[in-house]
This record gives sequence, structure tokens and C-alpha cells, in this order.
Amino acid sequence: MLNIFKRFWQVNWAEQWQYRANLFMYLAYWLVSPIVYLSVWTTIANAQGGVNGMSASDFAAYYLVLLPVDIATAAITIHLFASKIQDGTLSNFLVQPVHPVLVNTLVTTISFKVLQLIIFVPIWIGLFLLFRPPLTITFESALLAIPALILGFMLNFLVDSTITLIAFWTTRVWSIHQLYWAIGAMLGGSFVPLSLLPGVIQSVARFSPMQLWLYFPIQLILNKQTPADMALNFGLQVFWLVIMFVIFRATWTAGLKKYSAVGA
Amino acid sequence: MTTHSPDADDPIVVEGLAKTYQVTDREGGFGAAVRSFVKRKYKDVKAVQNVSFRIGQGEIVGFLGPNGAGKTTTLKMLSGLLHPTGGKAIVLGHTPWNREAGFLSAMTLVMGQRNRLSWDIPAADSFLLNQAIYRISDADYKSVFGELNELLDLKDIMRKPVRQLSLGERMKCELAAALLHRPKVLFLDEPTIGLDVGAQVRIRAFLKEYNRRSGATILLTSHYMADVTALCERIIIIHHGQLKYDGGLGDLSRRIAPYKIIGVAVENCEACDLSAYGQAVPNPNEDGKQYIQVAASEVSAVTARLLAENEIQDLTITDPPIEDIIERAFHE
Amino acid sequence: MNTFRVFRAFFQANLQQDLAYRADTVVNIIVSLFWLGWDLAGLSIIFANTQDINGWRTGDLIMLLGVFRLINVLAQMVIWPNTELFNRGIREGTLDYTFLMPANSQALVSIRRIVVWQAFNIIVSIALLAGGLVMVGGSVTVLSMLSFVVLVISGMVLIYSLWIVLISLTFWFTKFDNNVTLLQALLDTGRFPATVYPIWLRILVTFIVPIAVATTVPLQALRGELELWQILAYLAAGVAGFWFATRVWKVGSRKYSGASA
Repeated sequence: MLNIFKRFWQVNWAEQWQYRANLFMYLAYWLVSPIVYLSVWTTIANAQGGVNGMSASDFAAYYLVLLPVDIATAAITIHLFASKIQDGTLSNFLVQPVHPVLVNTLVTTISFKVLQLIIFVPIWIGLFLLFRPPLTITFESALLAIPALILGFMLNFLVDSTITLIAFWTTRVWSIHQLYWAIGAMLGGSFVPLSLLPGVIQSVARFSPMQLWLYFPIQLILNKQTPADMALNFGLQVFWLVIMFVIFRATWTAGLKKYSAVGA
Repeated sequence: MTTHSPDADDPIVVEGLAKTYQVTDREGGFGAAVRSFVKRKYKDVKAVQNVSFRIGQGEIVGFLGPNGAGKTTTLKMLSGLLHPTGGKAIVLGHTPWNREAGFLSAMTLVMGQRNRLSWDIPAADSFLLNQAIYRISDADYKSVFGELNELLDLKDIMRKPVRQLSLGERMKCELAAALLHRPKVLFLDEPTIGLDVGAQVRIRAFLKEYNRRSGATILLTSHYMADVTALCERIIIIHHGQLKYDGGLGDLSRRIAPYKIIGVAVENCEACDLSAYGQAVPNPNEDGKQYIQVAASEVSAVTARLLAENEIQDLTITDPPIEDIIERAFHE
Repeated sequence: MNTFRVFRAFFQANLQQDLAYRADTVVNIIVSLFWLGWDLAGLSIIFANTQDINGWRTGDLIMLLGVFRLINVLAQMVIWPNTELFNRGIREGTLDYTFLMPANSQALVSIRRIVVWQAFNIIVSIALLAGGLVMVGGSVTVLSMLSFVVLVISGMVLIYSLWIVLISLTFWFTKFDNNVTLLQALLDTGRFPATVYPIWLRILVTFIVPIAVATTVPLQALRGELELWQILAYLAAGVAGFWFATRVWKVGSRKYSGASA
């Protein structure tokens, strides 16, 4: 199994390296929205001396940590796999004895991620010098963030993949994925730190899987999680991971049945 | 009809296989688009109906039929990509559409119109990837690759990104990638499509030699009759999803076309009237001879008459071209 | 007149295509209503925590959202889908057929695909503008209203022109299929008044990828923050941009057909 991962890795790396120029362009997507919201909130915080206990520099720290966390835990199955179901190239992968999503797509996602992070480092340093936020990172918080990021990525990958599999049933899965993305961005902390959300939405967000791959790791890195919060969130990560794995497997089996009934 | 005699070890056994699709039915035009927006009509398309055959170990069988006859649908069912709506198939002891790892590792599907190799990297990298996917040991890989390289001459082309290869070179690499795990059954859908004549000849020679060496069973579809005549002793013809013929290529001519072509060169007569002997047919060879079509049972009588009544310089008796015969078989 | 007939033919063909995917059309409209709710929820979260952003109140930002969504209609209805067709045309060589047609090639590549249902979002945008205007109340003169409308149109022309220039670049750099990625990525900056952004970003979205010119600027005119000379300058930029884009397209397409002949 490890060998398969290794080979997939080599192939993906070689493939994506050829398109590294494109990567710069795609990074723009990742950058714009956090910088927009960073600007909005720092403008407000500067005008009224703080928002709900967060100062302008707190916002800067939040969004600057958000950027690498977002890259680390992002899932792109919808981009990699939906079209394969739709145009039938999935067939090429189905005649091979490895799982097209859990091996093939997973490794492609990880190698894309690593390449992105490498290119992102100098950009991040530039942004850091522009905004100079006070980072409250400690050695422990950075260490604890590693399992949180890995679990968060796996969870996000499974959720994104499960939604992508809807392509087995409907031709335009993208709209559905957009809905999911919009809800996820709101509940995960992409636009606003969860503490600024109104009461009810905030409680929903706290237990939703989306914050587990964004808000939770950010707060962990910034050293703003109490041990109780931390235990709860790690527990939630494992809980959702098990649930999503079961749902993913069931969807995959049902989807393949559908695919092989219609053909492509 | 001569079919392959049944054997318990036959790698491919198909019984009563059927596949029916539901498709939306809509006429062209703006009004129809609006109507169909409100209410959809569906109709059944029977792509494959009650098809049965067995293929023995090491056979190369040509699977023929006009476009839309159900060839690709059948191949997809046999390689596990499609669930049939009826009947059964056993390939190498497995039901294909259960997609067990043991089955997937023992067969291969090559579609001439579809690329499996990664476009942007050299084929060599895809080979290594397949080595991992199919769990091929280094020693096995080395020996299989050595053999394939000897037959296909891959060394130079496999280092270039696939997108830079010619169509023929790409097909060589596709075949190599598909054969690294020594599949026992090969499903080839139009493996020579779009290739120039030279490349077609090379691919054919390769398949023949590969089959001889490995004893693998091959079921192939092709639009090029040269593929079929060069490779297949047995052919299966389907049309409108139904099996029309299953047997030897030679038997087909006897059954479908019970006539022969007689070519004669007559002294001092390059275009004389031979209609008394048989219906004139176009000259396939441009050799100055005249050709007539004669019922098989009358060949000896007509020949005798021809020789008696004319000054014949040369006379040949041949089967009608296989393309014509298969064309007739489709429409019978 | 010919261009108009071509436009009508394309529009009908596209309408048919949208109708054929009925589930999609319904889903798309539901999704865009959802996005409306989502955008408004985002604003309400922000304004639960503050009275104004740099002097822009809720009503102002709802109007800005209306203009932003209009620009998005332009993007989603015409620009993105036709970019995809254009890039595929370059890649697969089918763009040649476009140049064989006896009609203006720039118009053809601009409207080959029209995502018809997006027209729904024009209504949504107008509703947002009206709603925002009511919230802001008073202080709107006929002149400021007029300059607003004119600047929105000229801003859209400017974005369209930038797009034509970007895809024309593909004639020179054939492997440039990322031609609109930057525009796509920066579009989201139009949700908020450009004045909140750090100076480097403000320069970028005003002078290089002029999204702010199409969103923030018209509203500034409506709020009476612009001098007459500024309004005229932005208008001139729109006209000049269109003229420039047409030139670039002409030169680029001549180069393209010269190379492939």
C-alpha cells in the first residue's frame, strides 16, 4: 500500500511541477477572500477600538494563520473527480485494483497541497511584514496543531469527496457543492471568527464538522483553546471522521452501482 | 455455425447477456425543449440482447458489428464497468461487475479512443505507477518490461511526455502499460483506430506475437478488416445487440457468400462480354483481367465452359473480399 | 442589424440548452437565492458588530452588493462561459470556425454562450439597489442618480474590455489558459468599498484590474463624493478601454489567423 502511495506521489509531483506557474494563479484565489475580510474587520476594529474583544491586530493574526491552515486542510476532490464521473474517464480507474478516491485522488490532493505550501511561504512572509500581527504561537500549540490539521484534512477530504460523489446521480454536482461551500465558509470561520457569529448560528457552528478543519486549528495555533475546548474538538474530529467514513463508503457503493447501470 | 467446443476452463463464458438503457426522448426545436422541460419522455434502448458465447484459452476473437451494434457495451460488461440487465458472464472464474481485485488484476481493457496514460509525464513514470498498482515485483517487472520492450521498442519513446508522442507511439505505450501485469484476458476496443497503416501493421504483429508467447485470450473490436483477417481465426458478429454469427472466418464466406470470383485474361479481348458466364464485378487488382461472380456450385462448370469457348491466358478463382462478406453478414 | 440577429440566434440556442437541463435551471435559481441570503447574512453579521465601515452604512453596502451582483451577472452570464469556450477553441483549433463566419469575431466570441437564467440575478440586483436606496434615504439628486447609472455601465464596459484584452493575450502566448484567473480571484473585492483595503490592493483593483471602478466608484458618485471631473475621467476610461480592447483583439486575431493559415 505504501508503495502505491509512493508511486502515485512521484507521478503527481512530476505532473504538477510542470504546472507550477498555474499554481501562482490559483493561490490568488486562496489569498483574496481572507485579505478582503481582514481589511474589513481591521477597518472596523480601528474605528471603534476593537470588536467583541478582538483588536485590529488580533484580526490580522487570525487571518494570517487562516491562510496556511486553509491550504493545509483544503480538499479539492470536486475539481479532481467530479469531471471523471461525468465524462466517463472514471472507467479508466475502475479497471485498476486501487481505490480511485481513497488512493488516487487523495495522493493528488496531498502533492498539490505540498507544492502550494512551498510556493506560499514567501508570499506569507511578505504578508506578515505588511500586517505585522502579534503571533501568540508556542512550541506546544504548534505541536498540537499537527494532529488537528491531519485529522481536519482527512475529515474535510471525506466530506468533500462524499459530496463530489453526488455526481453519480446528477449531472451538475457543482451547484450542490457551492451550497455546501458557502455554508462551510460561514460555519468554519473563513469570513468571521466564530466568536463574532450571532448566538444560535455560533452554537451550530461549534458542533459542525466545518470548523474542525479551520477555526479549531487556527485557535489551537494561536494558543486560544482551553484544554476543555481542545479535548472536545479533538473528540469531535474523531467522531465526525468515523461517521463520514461510513457515509462515504455507502455513497461510493451506491454510486458505483448507479454508474455501472448507466455506463459512460 | 461452428462455435468453440465448451471447456470448463474457458476464460470467457457469456450466457444470455442483455443490457437495456433508458434514454430521454426529445425532438429537436424550441417547442420540444419547453415541453421536455415540463415532462420528460423515456424510451428503452436494447443495446445488447441475449448474447451467448464462450471463448477458449489463447483464442483471438474478432468482435464485429456496425456502429452502435453493442460491441463496446458488451466489452464494458465483460470488463466489469457495466452491470447487465440480464444474463450472466464469467471471466476467469469471476463475475466481472463484482469488480474483485483478483479479476481486475488478471484482465485488461484498452480503448483506442481513450487515454489512460497521464498526458504530461513520460510513459515510463506511468509504467512504474502501474507496477505499484498491480503489485508487480521488481523481478517480474523487469522481465515483462524486457519482453514488451523487445516487441514494441519502447526505450526511446517512453522518456518523452506522452503528449509529445505520435498516435502510434502512444498506442504502443498504452498497450505496454496495459500488459505489464501479464493479464490473462485482453479486451481491446478499436486498438488501431486512427493509426497510419504502418503503425497498424506493427500493432497487429505485436498482438499476434504477444498472444503466441503468453497464451493470453484476446477479444477485440475493430473497424479495420485487416486487423480481423490478420489476427482472428474466429469472429463474432453482432447487430442491433443480437448475435448474428459466431464461427470461423473462412466458414463465414462459405455461409454468407456461396459464390466465388473468377478472374480471366482473354487473348485479344480486354473488355469482351462475359455476361453469359456470370455477373461482372469490378477488378480489385488492376491487372488487366476481367472478373465475374459465379455461384460456388457452378464454379467448375463455368470454368470448363470458359476454357472451352475462349482463348484463356490466365485464370484465377478466389473468395470474395472479406469486407464484403462481413458487410453482408451485418445486414442479413 | 446582423450582429443583433446573431445575438438573438445565440440567445435562443442557449435558452434551449438551459431548458434541457431543467433540474439545473431550478437548482441554479435556488442556489442564487441562497447566495443572496448568504450575502445579506454576511452583512448582518458585520453590522451586528459595528455601525459603519469607513462611513458606509448598511444601506450603502446593500446597494454596493446590488452593483457587485450586476458585475457578477456579466461575469457568470457571459465572461466565464465564453472564456471556457474560447480557451477550448484555441486548444483544439475550433476557433478557426469563428473566424470563418461572416460576422464580427469579437462579438461572436463574446456571446457564443449566454447563461440565460442569470438574467434572474439582474432583477435581484435591482431589488437590492432599490432596497438599499430606501434605507439610505433622501439626499439623492437626479444628477447623482444619472451619474451612478452611467458609471455602472461604463464600469461594466471596462471589465468587459479588460476581459477582451486578457483573452487576446492568448493569441500571443498560446499556453495562457489562466487568462482570467486573476480577474476571477479579485472579483470578490467588489463586495466592499475599496477604501477599506490597504493601499497596494486599492491600486490593484482600481488601475490594473478595475473592479472598484465598476462597483465602488458609481456608489461614490451616488453618495455625492465625486467631483464632475472625476466622473468624466472614469467615463473616459470606459470609452478608452473599449477602444483599446477592440484594437488589441483586431491585431491579435489577425496574428492568429495569419499563423494558422
